Amino acid sequence: MLATAAQGEARARNFRLWITAGPGLFWIIVFLLIPSIVLLGIGFFTSNDYGSPVMPLTVAPFSQVAGYSLLGWDDGNIVIFLRSLEQAGIATAVSALLSYPIVFFIMTRPASVRPLLMLLVILPSWTNQVVRTYAWLELLGPNAPVTWVAHALGIVPPDLGIAPGVFAVTTGLAYNYLPYMIVPLYASAERLDWTLVEAGRDLYASGVRLFWHTVFPQTVPGLLSGVIFVAIPAFGDYVVPQLLGGDKALMIGSLIANQFTETPDWPYGAALTIIMLVFTGAGLIGFRVLTRRLGGTGEATI
Amino acid sequence: MTNVVPKGVRNILAGISWPVYILLYTPLALVAFYSLAPAPNTQGHSFYAYGVLFHDGTVFAALQRSLVLAFGSATVSTALGTLLGYGLCRFRAANARGLTANLPSLIIYTPIIMPSLVFGISELIFFNFIHQQTGFLNAGLLTMVIAHITFQVPYVALTVFARLAGLDPNLFEASHDLYANGIKSFFYLTVPVVRPAIIGGFLLGITLSIDDFTISFFTAGPGSVTLPIYIYSAVARKGISPEINALGTLMITTVMVLAVAHFFISRSRDRRASLIPT
Repeated sequence: MLATAAQGEARARNFRLWITAGPGLFWIIVFLLIPSIVLLGIGFFTSNDYGSPVMPLTVAPFSQVAGYSLLGWDDGNIVIFLRSLEQAGIATAVSALLSYPIVFFIMTRPASVRPLLMLLVILPSWTNQVVRTYAWLELLGPNAPVTWVAHALGIVPPDLGIAPGVFAVTTGLAYNYLPYMIVPLYASAERLDWTLVEAGRDLYASGVRLFWHTVFPQTVPGLLSGVIFVAIPAFGDYVVPQLLGGDKALMIGSLIANQFTETPDWPYGAALTIIMLVFTGAGLIGFRVLTRRLGGTGEATI
Repeated sequence: MTNVVPKGVRNILAGISWPVYILLYTPLALVAFYSLAPAPNTQGHSFYAYGVLFHDGTVFAALQRSLVLAFGSATVSTALGTLLGYGLCRFRAANARGLTANLPSLIIYTPIIMPSLVFGISELIFFNFIHQQTGFLNAGLLTMVIAHITFQVPYVALTVFARLAGLDPNLFEASHDLYANGIKSFFYLTVPVVRPAIIGGFLLGITLSIDDFTISFFTAGPGSVTLPIYIYSAVARKGISPEINALGTLMITTVMVLAVAHFFISRSRDRRASLIPT
């Protein structure tokens, strides 16, 4: 009797779960999970003359990704891939290096102005990505003030701008994703146990050593979340390399997009996507393991 | 804690931070500055570009589509996301293991972690296929709304879930003891309690929709150009013009004014709330 009542309750509970959570989950499954599985599947089809996927199944798109084509082997794709990794890496490192001083600058201000200083950091990222990216053309474009300086110093040949170029892309990526580093870092700095710092001071540690042994370890979980939030979207970014990059700063995102827009080759584009996701996933898992090993705290997860 | 950091270090921190703050706003300020370009054959600054902009029908049509897209998608995603967050918090058994426990979380996190380019291209292919097979879902505003709902639902669900998870579970027991059934308890207890989270989720949805370019770009059709797509193609085709700068300035100003207003309103509300003794 008791057992059946409990069973009935569990069943009612499950029913309610699917009534409430079902529609939202169903929506995501139909409009994202199935489409993305289809996209990944297309990577194993043959491409016809219009670039559409047809039978038979093949791994030819992947050898195309590796650089093989009718004309032999070409290092173009590997260059683009390494460039994307490098750009994402530099942008992440720059944001991390800038975030520490900013976060601790905010922390040392009176508590009443801290939210305002955080708002000022986040505010630019609420404007549309296209607007805040093309805005850098005003600063780095061919007729822009910073470019005149670069001309005078002979860094950039005359008539050309810093943008389009590799440096402009790095700048744009760091600018776009800096708040994504500052926010998690600030969250972990807020929870910082300052008694440890005082203990370190009592033991006559100071300066860099004091920071490195007492403050830094406590901010590692925030730093690692920040690295994920910056590196992953920067690696596959589309808008920044398109607007600030030009042909010589092509990144994986533009390469993928071209296979679906300008010169369609869906299987090749899908294979590129798979490789990009493998890299992203590997990075994500690697950092999760690292966070756990370094004692990352559990957050409220669904 | 501030006394732990020596004065010299604090000066260095400020010396690095203020220039970064200035750098964050310099490109945006330059957009505003160059929007004041003089009218043809004149000198000095003027609002000429704004005048051109206000008489441009395409820009108004794009603005209208952007607003329909943002409010339409945020409304649906708020409904779906609220139910989703509520259901997962209330009806997923605490001792759930295996699929019931993990599958919903996995599904919810996919739109968040998936790179927006992959997201956009997946939808492009999917809508393309459906259109070829059935004739429905031709690329346009409707497909954009569907895609925007998809990326907003998880954020709304997480916001509502976080709010509910912070509540005392006894509240629901109490409403149950007072003979409220599930639906009554949802409308009389849950909705009022999570209203801030629902409103927050709705506003977040609008913000995400307005901020998005990549997913919109791949799900849009030739007749559904929104403001970001309009700006992108204008800049990509013929570079920056004073009109584009004027449009950019208006977008930047709108977002900033709304954000700052929201910040100060919610702060004064917090302050008032903290005056009430608990």
